[in-house]
Amino acid sequence: MTWRAAWAVAGKDLRVEVRSRYALGSVLPFAATMLLAFGFALGPDRGLLRLTAPGLLWLAGLFAAVDLFARSYRSEADAGALDGLLLSPVPKGAVYLGKAVAATAQVLVLMVVTGLLVAVLFGLPLGRSPALLVLTTLLGVVGLSALGSLFGLLTVLGRRQAALPVLVLPLVTPVVIGAIRATGTLVQGGTEGVAGWVGVLLAFDAAFLATGFLVYGHLIED
Amino acid sequence: MTVTAVELHRVTRVFDGVPAVSQVHLEVAVGEVLWVCGSNGSGKSTLLRLVATALSPTFGSGSVLDFDLTRERDLIRARTELLGHRSRLYAELSAAENLRFVARLYGVEADRIPPALERVGLDEVADVRAGGFSQGMRQRLAIARCLMRDPELVLLDEPYAGLDADARVLVDDLLTDAAQRGRTVLVASHEAPPPGTVDRRLVLEAGHPVPATADRVRR
Amino acid sequence: MSMIDRLLVRAGTRGAQRALGWASLGGLAGTAVLGLYVVPPDAEQGDVQRLMYVHVPAAWLAFLSFTVVFVASVAYLRTGRIRWDRVAVASAEAGVLFCALTLVLGSLWGRPVWGTWWTWDPRLTTTVVLLLVYVGYLSLRNVADSPTRRAHWSAVVGVVGFVDVPIVHMSVVWWRSLHQEATVIRPGAPTMDPSMLATLLFGTLAFSLAYGYLMAVRLRVGRLEDHAASTVMSQPSPRARAPRPVHPVGGGPRG
Repeated sequence: MTWRAAWAVAGKDLRVEVRSRYALGSVLPFAATMLLAFGFALGPDRGLLRLTAPGLLWLAGLFAAVDLFARSYRSEADAGALDGLLLSPVPKGAVYLGKAVAATAQVLVLMVVTGLLVAVLFGLPLGRSPALLVLTTLLGVVGLSALGSLFGLLTVLGRRQAALPVLVLPLVTPVVIGAIRATGTLVQGGTEGVAGWVGVLLAFDAAFLATGFLVYGHLIED
Repeated sequence: MTVTAVELHRVTRVFDGVPAVSQVHLEVAVGEVLWVCGSNGSGKSTLLRLVATALSPTFGSGSVLDFDLTRERDLIRARTELLGHRSRLYAELSAAENLRFVARLYGVEADRIPPALERVGLDEVADVRAGGFSQGMRQRLAIARCLMRDPELVLLDEPYAGLDADARVLVDDLLTDAAQRGRTVLVASHEAPPPGTVDRRLVLEAGHPVPATADRVRR
Repeated sequence: MSMIDRLLVRAGTRGAQRALGWASLGGLAGTAVLGLYVVPPDAEQGDVQRLMYVHVPAAWLAFLSFTVVFVASVAYLRTGRIRWDRVAVASAEAGVLFCALTLVLGSLWGRPVWGTWWTWDPRLTTTVVLLLVYVGYLSLRNVADSPTRRAHWSAVVGVVGFVDVPIVHMSVVWWRSLHQEATVIRPGAPTMDPSMLATLLFGTLAFSLAYGYLMAVRLRVGRLEDHAASTVMSQPSPRARAPRPVHPVGGGPRG
């Protein structure tokens, strides 16, 4: 029951996004603009840019993702569809998991595009240890989406919008540190400490998917 | 033997310190059609949303279809449909896809979708996105959702708002059809009920039921 | 549970508040006297080290406050009793105060000892993340448009924030350990002078009393606010798992 409902919600969210491109359509240009601004701030020194590239990649991804979470809840709010989710007799944790899966897919697209841009603009070598890089990205994106899908809901409930960045950014500190450090080590061809970072990211993902599953009902119910 | 479909006991709902519905006692028998009327702001919508478990009572207790209003919400939700002011449709999904999503959440067979669309006259636009629908078509689609699910308790909140004469007939049909098959229906409307469909009227005024008007209009 | 309830009611009364107020004032004055005049200065750091008698208790109380937020949030989500929400927000406000105090005092201490206001030490970094999480908690409370929603939302943040703390700490420790920099914080002196330890414990007691005082005031204010907003809010929310008879919260607007 839980899984079927989660898949239904995830499939619906992705279908809506593929057709409207409401979230990615504005979030991708946002990330690209941010990368340009980072470039202007740091100057044209290739060495410095390459050194800071992993951090810039994840920061652009993070800020764009926070906007994406709020946008991906928009379609629920437009015609009161959120009521439909609330009134359906499925565990509300399943709705959360579906939302998190759909958000993960969208943020992955965002990170891949941003990663390619960083590779071109800042000379970030992506080919050194591709498998571990993909794993790090996946775990980081799941962590971001786990939190974003939980608190993104607060931007469409009630009359006032919650300030999503204020809520999400301090909480995702472990993802920011872990993903940036692991990416930084991997693109330099090293693996020292990467196992530890993968552990941190795994712990974060597991903790927040479980917590989100348990508490989502408390957020959505009146 | 009469079994109660809805039983509210001193139910009050407060918004921002102001009660929208206050101290409501209500008993609705299974198969009864109750017409809730009252002016704007009298608490009709709040009452229906409380019964649908979309809102929780600030205090008071109750049961719907013998399930507790606050502790067995999902059991109530599986057997209840609320047709509210808002269509709850996804603009990017087609009419059929909107229904398919609902069907998957409620565990309803997918083969009930085409007949439901046909009954509301939307079978020809089944694959058109709901975003392009007029207000009346959206309301028809919402009615199709209700027909597809065939719930034990139907809650209609201002079902005639924004409908043309053809669509009004659909709502009347939904009402009579549900009543004939023993479903319980609560309608909130400021209009007069269509003749011969309603068992009882309840008038709300500023969140309170007006007792003298709770007359019986036996079919 | 009913014992804790009764304790909470009693802690929220004006008498308890006054007693705690005087006790914490006395305690803090005593800490000042002990820390500044009675205890000898540190052999290495001299007089600056005296900041420890307020810095360390503030840090401990910050962590205690956030633990109380977590416990009260879980209790609220399980029982739906608005009283637990008041405990959580009271403790969050006190915690933000203690946490900010910890950081400011730490900075003041760090400047002469390490030669810098700030260093990216794991403990410092975790503390500042913690402060930001609970500032977010308090800001969210202004957003919710109904008292029950506000209580539910902040309880969720109270739980999520607390779950995050060990992971944040783990990541920051791991981050620092990979950077081969000399650690500026020495591991605590192996032997501490008994008078220093006694002063530290006394300071902790004084800060705990101050926490109790802040909680008492905030609980009473919270209850009065709820009564002013609407008298029905003092009744258990119907989302409580176990049905309980309705009984009013002690004190009330008279308190």
